[in-house]
Amino acid sequence: MVMGKLVLISRLAGRDIRRHPAQAVLLLLAITAATAVLSLGLVLHGVTSQPYQQTRAATNGPDVVAYLPALHGPGVRPGPPAAAAALARAPGVTGHGGPYPDVWTIIRARGLSAGAEAEGRTQASSPIDQPKLTAGGWVRPGHVVIERTFADALGVGVGDRVTLGGQAFTVGGIAVTAAVPPYPNLCQVTGGGCVGGAPGGEQVPPRDLGMIWVTEPDALRLATPAAPVSTYVLDLRLGDPAQAEAFAAGHSGGPGSAGLSNMVGWPDLAAADGLLVQDEQQVLSPGALLAALLAVASVAVLAGGRMAEHTRRTGLLKAAGGGPGLVAGVLLAENLVLALAAAAAGLLAGWLAAPLITSPGAALVGTPGAPSLTVPIAAEVVAVAVAVALAATLVPAIRAARTSTVSALAGVARPPRRRAALIAISRRLPVPLLLGLRLVARRPRRAILGAASIMITTAGVVAVLAFHVTADRGDQATASGLSDPVVIRDEQMLLVLTVVLLALTALNAVCAAWTTVLDTRAASALARALGATPRQVGAGIAAAQVIPAVPGALLGIPLGIELFAAASRAGRVVVPPAWWLAAAVLGVLIAAAALASIPAWAGTRRPAAEILQAEMV
Amino acid sequence: MNETAGPEAAGGTPVLRARGLHKHYGKDAGLVRAVDGVDLDVDAGETVAVTGPSGCGKSTLLHLLGGLDRASAGEIWLAGRRVDQLGERALARLRREAVGFVFQAFHLMDELTAVENVELPGLLAGQSPRAARRRAAGLLERVGLADRAGFLPSALSGGQRQRVAIARALVADPLVVLADEPTGNLDSEATLDVLRLFDSLHAAGQTLVIVTHDSRIAATADRLISMRDGEFVDQTRLTGGTTGSLGTLAGLEG
Amino acid sequence: MQQEVVLAMLAKEPSHGYELRARLQQALGPAGDAMNAGQIYVTLGRLEKAGLVTCEQAAGLPDRPDRKVYALTADGQQRVTEWVTDTSWPGPGLAEFHLKLIAAAAARLADPLAIIDAQRRELLRSLRDTQRAAMAEPPGSDAALLLEGIVLRLQADLRWLEACERKWTGRKDRS
Repeated sequence: MVMGKLVLISRLAGRDIRRHPAQAVLLLLAITAATAVLSLGLVLHGVTSQPYQQTRAATNGPDVVAYLPALHGPGVRPGPPAAAAALARAPGVTGHGGPYPDVWTIIRARGLSAGAEAEGRTQASSPIDQPKLTAGGWVRPGHVVIERTFADALGVGVGDRVTLGGQAFTVGGIAVTAAVPPYPNLCQVTGGGCVGGAPGGEQVPPRDLGMIWVTEPDALRLATPAAPVSTYVLDLRLGDPAQAEAFAAGHSGGPGSAGLSNMVGWPDLAAADGLLVQDEQQVLSPGALLAALLAVASVAVLAGGRMAEHTRRTGLLKAAGGGPGLVAGVLLAENLVLALAAAAAGLLAGWLAAPLITSPGAALVGTPGAPSLTVPIAAEVVAVAVAVALAATLVPAIRAARTSTVSALAGVARPPRRRAALIAISRRLPVPLLLGLRLVARRPRRAILGAASIMITTAGVVAVLAFHVTADRGDQATASGLSDPVVIRDEQMLLVLTVVLLALTALNAVCAAWTTVLDTRAASALARALGATPRQVGAGIAAAQVIPAVPGALLGIPLGIELFAAASRAGRVVVPPAWWLAAAVLGVLIAAAALASIPAWAGTRRPAAEILQAEMV
Repeated sequence: MNETAGPEAAGGTPVLRARGLHKHYGKDAGLVRAVDGVDLDVDAGETVAVTGPSGCGKSTLLHLLGGLDRASAGEIWLAGRRVDQLGERALARLRREAVGFVFQAFHLMDELTAVENVELPGLLAGQSPRAARRRAAGLLERVGLADRAGFLPSALSGGQRQRVAIARALVADPLVVLADEPTGNLDSEATLDVLRLFDSLHAAGQTLVIVTHDSRIAATADRLISMRDGEFVDQTRLTGGTTGSLGTLAGLEG
Repeated sequence: MQQEVVLAMLAKEPSHGYELRARLQQALGPAGDAMNAGQIYVTLGRLEKAGLVTCEQAAGLPDRPDRKVYALTADGQQRVTEWVTDTSWPGPGLAEFHLKLIAAAAARLADPLAIIDAQRRELLRSLRDTQRAAMAEPPGSDAALLLEGIVLRLQADLRWLEACERKWTGRKDRS
């Protein structure tokens, strides 16, 4: 008996989906979009710390890095301070590397110049913090090894000629390290010359500094009276890595430090490493939220639009003897099938898209392989999809249970409300606006939903514009013209996000227009029977989408500015120029109108007589 | 727009003329001949009733005449102008200016009051709101519903709703009013109201083509056409008196 | 039994009393169950007395009414012709019109479809007149009620005539 019912339910559900393929496809797309965004967000969530760990393992990264200021002046012996030896023997320290001399210098390559922190190293491998080469070989006299992200920004490769402090060098290799954050976040933890000192007499902003390695003699040769050796770097390995921060806090400001000594534990290094991806996260999270909201809005619009259809079908089923259980079962089966298919598609899409975004900051030895799509993540996405299916079923099912069979058959799902004020206003408008405004008045909730989705899209576009404003102003760009990987990253992120938002809004617009067409079939046919041309009716349906879009777009402007302020690191309120905003709003409105006219045009193809006759049955 | 004059010169031209009208659906085994070769002439001021069993194609015929559907073959002239080849825009104009349609299901907008329903074709035609409202109010008075102008359709009886629909059909002072089973959804009393209205329209010179299977309406028409299987099978003018009297009909011995 | 009906039954050819009865019963079906033999013979007797029908005894058979052979006279023929084209209504009932159609078809007196059509037109005219009278009445008048009753019956009769037309058209197409 249960088997029979299940067979019946599946047959009814399948037939229903086949009869309205377009609606099923739209619903599928909307849920897929939501699940794709969700799975992308979930996959990216845990990605930050991992690459640091990989780099640390590959390079024997230190637990603590100590920056000991070099002493200068008359009567001071050149070389590492005595404090270095003392630190290396401190309790808890099980190994050390260095001390290495650090010199601040200017690197010039291919017409660009930037500041560089040159660390003097031995040609032999160090036991702790031996940077891992991704190209070329380790330091040799006359050859410099450049940190990977820095090298990308400078645009140099192995074998290129550069000058350091005026002296000619050749790029011998490209490497990554876990001991300092990659360019351009070098100064997030390094002490010393990072306060924007004047290496070589040129003022260089803190962001334009990168890490390079040379032989120790070369480093000492780079030192000038104006820019002497600034610090000695000591890498420490602790017996208990968990004590790194305590150790660093405890030993900072020790004897001989002269107030400038700086100790960094590996957790801070990891955090600094993650800044690159953190930026992405900051852009991604609100963006993902927006995208998810849009997707949900689409689903809501579609579910609401099918309400009338559902009510009538429910009446038929009940009249044929089906109980509320059967009715709910058919509805649930339909939505569940679509939701599960959408979940699978969304997971796949998210999994495929994640690597494009997560190839972490080039400095970290993270392989651009697919971040793990773990079972918990997949389960979460499927659960959400099922929840959406249930939610989409719940309201119609409750309504079906409450409506009497008779009124359900009459198809009176929700008779349109009368809005006398809007009707009075619409009388004075040209025909398409008259029709459009009256359509809006009939279904105010759908209009609000449409306005909300346009608002979200416009907010996204405005946020992107604000970002471009700051990028152009150079707040985040480098004065020296180096390409800023963060900016590039952010730009890519925002581009992807904008594309996703626009695609979702397009989907939403089509969904809304489609459901409007279905909902107003009889009214449109009647309007045509009374003398409106199909073009006027189509324009009216499009106008019905655009009219609520106007306040939505206008509200989206302040929302977008707020979003950018909240997401940007500086928290600054940036207002894009007025004509950019105007262009954005107009663009969104025109796109909304254009997208709405497709279903609108399709809906006016059937002869009016056919529709009016059908309405009588 | 083609302005091909009909076969007859103006003056004595029938208001509505159709020749060789066909409407087919489907093909081969599934071919349905809804209208199968219909010729029709309707003179100005005439009331023509078309009767027939359900499915005989009379509603389809009316839709063709009113420009709501396109004929598969044949020609239609309205006031001497050829209208079957018109584009959608021109057809819409036709429906606005020359033809008024009355449906069996009334087809009033539920959220508009009676007067707002009646003024709608005027607004769609681009009239000023004031002019449209004035005309609508006048027409509602004509059909005897001036006191119900502000009522929603849900507050009106079936007969009143149909009268509002008839008022709406008259907004453009059409050449011909086409009515598709106007009393199909009405009870006896409401039918009488509608009949009275049609009668007064007829007296005022309005041309009417009514599709109906209500013999009461058919009996009061100038011309009665019987339709079966898509073609006309009979045309009658009910002239002359009857052999019996009302008394005999009532059962009184004559 | 309506005299004219019996006359019409003889229009095709003379027949025995029992043949007449059989034909009537077939035409009337259950509606004819209440009819008894006597009524027919009484009517036949009256018709004979009125000179519309002649009666012959078949030779060599006992003197019983059902064995007699009845035939129309010239007067009787004329009476039948008049009756067939008479469109007054309502007349005694549906049975008469029904038998009129059958008799007309059997005896080729007239095309049943033409009879139906003529009757239909007559009823429509009556409907028209009644309708006009009803519209002229002030609302709520007593006469209006009576007129509505007439209208409803006329409508019902017209619907039956449409059914007759459908059936007899089919019969004609088959023959």
